[in-house]
Amino acid sequence: MIKKILIVDDSPVARMMLKSCIPKNKSYDIYEAENGKDGVEKYKHLVPDVVFMDLTMPVLDGYEATSQIINMNNEAIIIVSTADIQPNSISTIKKFGAFMVIEKPPKSSSIQVALAKADIKLEKVSGAA
Amino acid sequence: MTKEKINNNFSDLEKDILQEIMNIAFGKASADLAELIDIYVLLSVPDIKIIGMGSLPDYIKNTISAYKEVSIVDQKFWGDFNGSGILLFQNSAGRDLITILEDRSYKNFEINSLVTLEKEIFLEIGNILIGACVGKIAELLNTFVTYSPPLVFDENSDGYGSFPQSFDPFQTAIIMKTIFKFKQKNIDGLLLIITNQESIGWLQKNLHRFLDSYQ
Repeated sequence: MIKKILIVDDSPVARMMLKSCIPKNKSYDIYEAENGKDGVEKYKHLVPDVVFMDLTMPVLDGYEATSQIINMNNEAIIIVSTADIQPNSISTIKKFGAFMVIEKPPKSSSIQVALAKADIKLEKVSGAA
Repeated sequence: MTKEKINNNFSDLEKDILQEIMNIAFGKASADLAELIDIYVLLSVPDIKIIGMGSLPDYIKNTISAYKEVSIVDQKFWGDFNGSGILLFQNSAGRDLITILEDRSYKNFEINSLVTLEKEIFLEIGNILIGACVGKIAELLNTFVTYSPPLVFDENSDGYGSFPQSFDPFQTAIIMKTIFKFKQKNIDGLLLIITNQESIGWLQKNLHRFLDSYQ
C-alpha cells in the first residue's frame, strides 16, 4: 500500500494543484521538492512509495532526476506529471524508467487511476521481494 | 524619463499561477507543432514579468542580444484576454527550418523566392505556436479569443525598426516569456505573450478562479 508520496515540481502552484487531486481519505504522507536535485535528495532520505515528477525544472530537470532515482532503485515508481506532451518527450522519459506519464493540468480522476496502478505495482514488487 | 503607468498589484501567487498556465499552454503548443512537423521542442521554465509598455522596446532588445538579426512574428489576439503573441527567431533559423519542412507540402508550394519561403515558414510556425499557446491559456481561464492574421518582419521589412515602439507606452505589459530550442537543428527561439492594462483585472480574477477549482 502506498504510504509516502513525493511531489517534485518547481512551481508551488503545480504542487498545490496536484496535491489537491490526491484522495484525502487515504491518509498519505505527502512531501514536496522544488526541483530535480531537491527531489533526488528527498528521495534518498524519505524513500517514498510514489514520486510525481515534473520534467521542465531549473537546477536539475525531471529526466536527469528520474534517471538518478532509477539508478538508486530500479523499482522506484515515478509518475511524470508534465505539460510537455510531445511524443518524443513521453517516449524518452519512459525509456529513463518512468512508470507512467500524466498530462498537466492534473485531474482527480487521472491521479486516482495512476495511484491505483502504482498500488498494484507496489504490491507485485513487495510480493516478489 | 518615459511616463508610464505600471500596475504592480500582481501578487507572487498570481505570477506563479500565470507561470504554470504558460507552462501548460506552451507544452500544448509544442505538442501541436510536433504533430504537424517532425520537430522536437526543448522547453524551458517560463518567466513572468510585469513592466511598463514604455520599457518593452528595451526589454525586447536586451532579451535578444542580436536584435537586428531577428525575424519577428506578431499576432494580435482579442477578447477578455487580449494582447500580442510575439515569436522571435534568429534569421539563420529560416534555412534550417526549410530543410525540416522540405519533405512536406511546402515542396509543392509555388514560391519562387527563398526569402518568401522563409517568411512563410516563420508565419506558419508562429501561427501554430502563438495560436495553440494563447488558445490553451484562454481555455484554462474559461474564455475565448479571436486572432488577427500573423505578420512577419525582418530587417528588410517596413515597420521592423519601429516595431518595439509600436506598443502604447502608457499601458502595463504582462510578459510571459519562454525560450525554446528545436533540438534537431539547434534553432533557438523566444515566445512572448504580452497582455495589456485592459486585461489585467479580468486576468487576476480568473487566475484565482482557476486555482480555486483545485481547492
